[in-house]
Amino acid sequence: MGRIPPQYLINRLITLLLTVWIAATLIWIIPRLSPVDPAEIMLGRMAAGAGTVENADQILQSLRARFGLDDPLLVQYLKYIRNVVTFDFGLSTASFPTPVSHLIARALPWTLGLMIISVTITFFIGNALGALMVWERSPKLVRVAIPVAMIFTSIPPILSGLLLMYFLSAKMRLFPLTGSYGLTVEPGWTWSFAQSVMYHGFLPALSIVVVTFGFWALGMRGLMITVQGEDYTKLAEAKGLRPRYILYKYMIRNAILPQITAFALKIGLLVAGQILVERIFAYNGMGKLIYDAILDQDFPVIQGASYIIILMTALSVFLVDLIYPLIDPRIKHER
Amino acid sequence: MTSPILTLKDLSIDFPTPGGLVHAVKQLSLEIDPGRRVGFIGESGSGKTTTALAIMRMLAAPGKVASGEIRLGHDKTDVLALSEEDMRKARLGRVSYIPQGAMNSLNPIMRVENQMWDGIVAHEGKTDLAELQRRSDAALESVGLAAHVGRLYPHELSGGMKQRVCIALGVILTPELIIADEPTSALDVVTQKHVMQTLTRVQEDIGCGLILIGHDMGLMAQSVDELAVLKDGELVEHGDTRQIIENPQHPYTQDLISSVPLVGGPSFLSPAVSAPASQKEGPDPLLQFRDVSKRYGDVTALHPMSFALDGDVPQIISIVGQSGSGKSTMGSLMLGFNPPSSGEVLYEGKNLATLGAAQGLEFRKNVQAVFQDPYACFNPFYRVDHALKFPFKRFGLSQGDDHTQQAMEDACEAVGLDPNLILRRYPHQLSGGQRQRLIVARALMLSPKLLIADEPVSMVDASLRATILKNIYDLKDKHGISILYITHDLATAYHVSDYVIVLYQGRIAEAGPPKQVIGDPQHPYTQLLIDSIPWPDVNRPWGTVTGDADSQLKQLQDHPTMFRGVIDGFSLSTAA
Repeated sequence: MGRIPPQYLINRLITLLLTVWIAATLIWIIPRLSPVDPAEIMLGRMAAGAGTVENADQILQSLRARFGLDDPLLVQYLKYIRNVVTFDFGLSTASFPTPVSHLIARALPWTLGLMIISVTITFFIGNALGALMVWERSPKLVRVAIPVAMIFTSIPPILSGLLLMYFLSAKMRLFPLTGSYGLTVEPGWTWSFAQSVMYHGFLPALSIVVVTFGFWALGMRGLMITVQGEDYTKLAEAKGLRPRYILYKYMIRNAILPQITAFALKIGLLVAGQILVERIFAYNGMGKLIYDAILDQDFPVIQGASYIIILMTALSVFLVDLIYPLIDPRIKHER
Repeated sequence: MTSPILTLKDLSIDFPTPGGLVHAVKQLSLEIDPGRRVGFIGESGSGKTTTALAIMRMLAAPGKVASGEIRLGHDKTDVLALSEEDMRKARLGRVSYIPQGAMNSLNPIMRVENQMWDGIVAHEGKTDLAELQRRSDAALESVGLAAHVGRLYPHELSGGMKQRVCIALGVILTPELIIADEPTSALDVVTQKHVMQTLTRVQEDIGCGLILIGHDMGLMAQSVDELAVLKDGELVEHGDTRQIIENPQHPYTQDLISSVPLVGGPSFLSPAVSAPASQKEGPDPLLQFRDVSKRYGDVTALHPMSFALDGDVPQIISIVGQSGSGKSTMGSLMLGFNPPSSGEVLYEGKNLATLGAAQGLEFRKNVQAVFQDPYACFNPFYRVDHALKFPFKRFGLSQGDDHTQQAMEDACEAVGLDPNLILRRYPHQLSGGQRQRLIVARALMLSPKLLIADEPVSMVDASLRATILKNIYDLKDKHGISILYITHDLATAYHVSDYVIVLYQGRIAEAGPPKQVIGDPQHPYTQLLIDSIPWPDVNRPWGTVTGDADSQLKQLQDHPTMFRGVIDGFSLSTAA
């Protein structure tokens, strides 16, 4: 434990920035390998709306100039990097001329709220269940959870979402079918709005929890079995410690360590949301934004969203690197 | 007349398996008096650990006490009838357990003293922190550890320190009985002696009984008052240690005693009369180190040294040392698994670092290896014959299937295995000893020029060690293969080798023919190693040690290398 040495912090920060830079560069390169010309897509969209477009060539040219597509690649790249650092991802081509950063800023809180709550819940439920599956003194019922967890893990979240929607919303009318909040409430920091948000978020969150807790439970079960066979667990029993104390201090406390690393990696990915879950619940989060952007070939939004995902992943890994020595004394803040 | 601290009466333990009921312990009756030390000795599977776990009521499922009684203490508590909660309180409080795996017995995420405190709190309820601190410090002090060790985490301790911590834990509630399950099997001889003497001293201080589980007759002779010899779950002999060692009645006990190789004792080998022809071709030495050193980061694993093994006459060169001495590093350098940090490793005059593909294949065929862990050496998916066949064909030695089959059968017979029983089996169906002999057979099939054997017998039962070493010795004696034998066991090195190199912290401490180096050691480190060997002879006491092993060893670091005589065909030097 103790304080974090500055040299360690600097090295970690450099790694963080390098990761983000390389990823940002890849995000920029990959769409440019595709033969699609975004200017032509925009033109096509105009044509679809208006029937025909006059001066098609001129419009194409002005669009290319407007989006900087005529610049040499290096100039495009440097501009891109400058913009990315300031979170300026340009204008969405699909919902022109809204800035991408506005779209992301609007969607991100919804996804973060939904996903952080559901992933945290699954993390706790899943790990607790996984630990109890192994513990000898657990109620017999917990053993039944093993096949249940396996079955639920293999259900795609879209199916769990549809089933829950069908039974709890359509049949029993307990929850609203779609949306992130009720149409009758005014968004703002009010209690009625918060209630509406929770009420609407419950089903999407539940459909994610139902299909993901098994991942943690089965992973934790494997880790617990290993820890159960460790000599220190045997010695703990020989020391006459109370079984609950052994379960917590000797078994879970050691088995949870790799799960925390996995959790950090998930935190980054969850920004993308459960794309299809958000889609079927018409939930206005990042997942729906990415889904629509892909359908619309909306490059700036795809780039912006991918960048945010990578930034989140890199940040959470960075954070875990900082906290890990506090939870595992064998790991030191070194180099 | 004192009443016994532990009474086992007709104890039987069964393990139901899919193949039927296995009787792990059969009708065992035994009494242990207070203050007495009793050794449970036998091979793996003899039921010694199972009996100990039954006393703790910690048998692994589905093991069950089928019949009999376990009574603990003067009040003859019926252990089997205790409630869960009372049994929990009896553990550590009345009977404590010192486990085998010193390396892994402490919770890695808790400070040492916290792991002593939780034991106290679990038995005595909430206790004042200052009181806990005082008791853990006192317990650590009683095993010769400073109080600040309590503030450390387990990974910051050496293996010997961890085992002492476990002993301190075992006595913290002054139990009536201590069970120590092979407490020193993971430690080197020097540390083993320190830890064993610590254990017997604290046991005498609190006057409790002690069960020492082990397989080393020497360690037993030096540590316990009574011996209980177990074989296949049966108590075959029980009595005073001196009486059993000097006059063993049961043939199995006689085997256990006579199978311990002794420095200066009778050899277990029967060398052939005529020396076989050497496998060597060309004028260059078979294997040569030219100023080779190896560093890992800031740590020097091997200081610069040179040697040349001519290979004109097959020889066995032993490399002896404790863990961390650099002996396995030497092995991996010789096998080309690891490039040296400086200097060159030469095979028949060719630098290993620059071998071409064809030469590399030739080198791999001619330099074979036998490693420590026979369990990890086989691919579990294939039958044994595949493991033997594959390299034989790969190196182009096969002249058809019949020839391959014949070669496999010959090799099996050479190591004393029946090919009809062995070849079609899967590795998991074989014992560790059988597997290790197969590895030797596999090496033999390729008729190599050099064999590098890294601790080939440290993981097999004592009774089999001599047999496997005989097999390896025969490779030299009958097949003309030179051998580099890497080991921590001075007694076997004494018997099999033509030349011995004693390594200490990457430096050569002493080197020369075994009669000089091991029979009459001059370097203080070699002397310390030899003094630390427990002899299976009650009339040859172990001696007492003062200070702790770590500081004792530190003083030896700068002692100069001692060369004790030379032999033909092998030269050795350290870099100037």
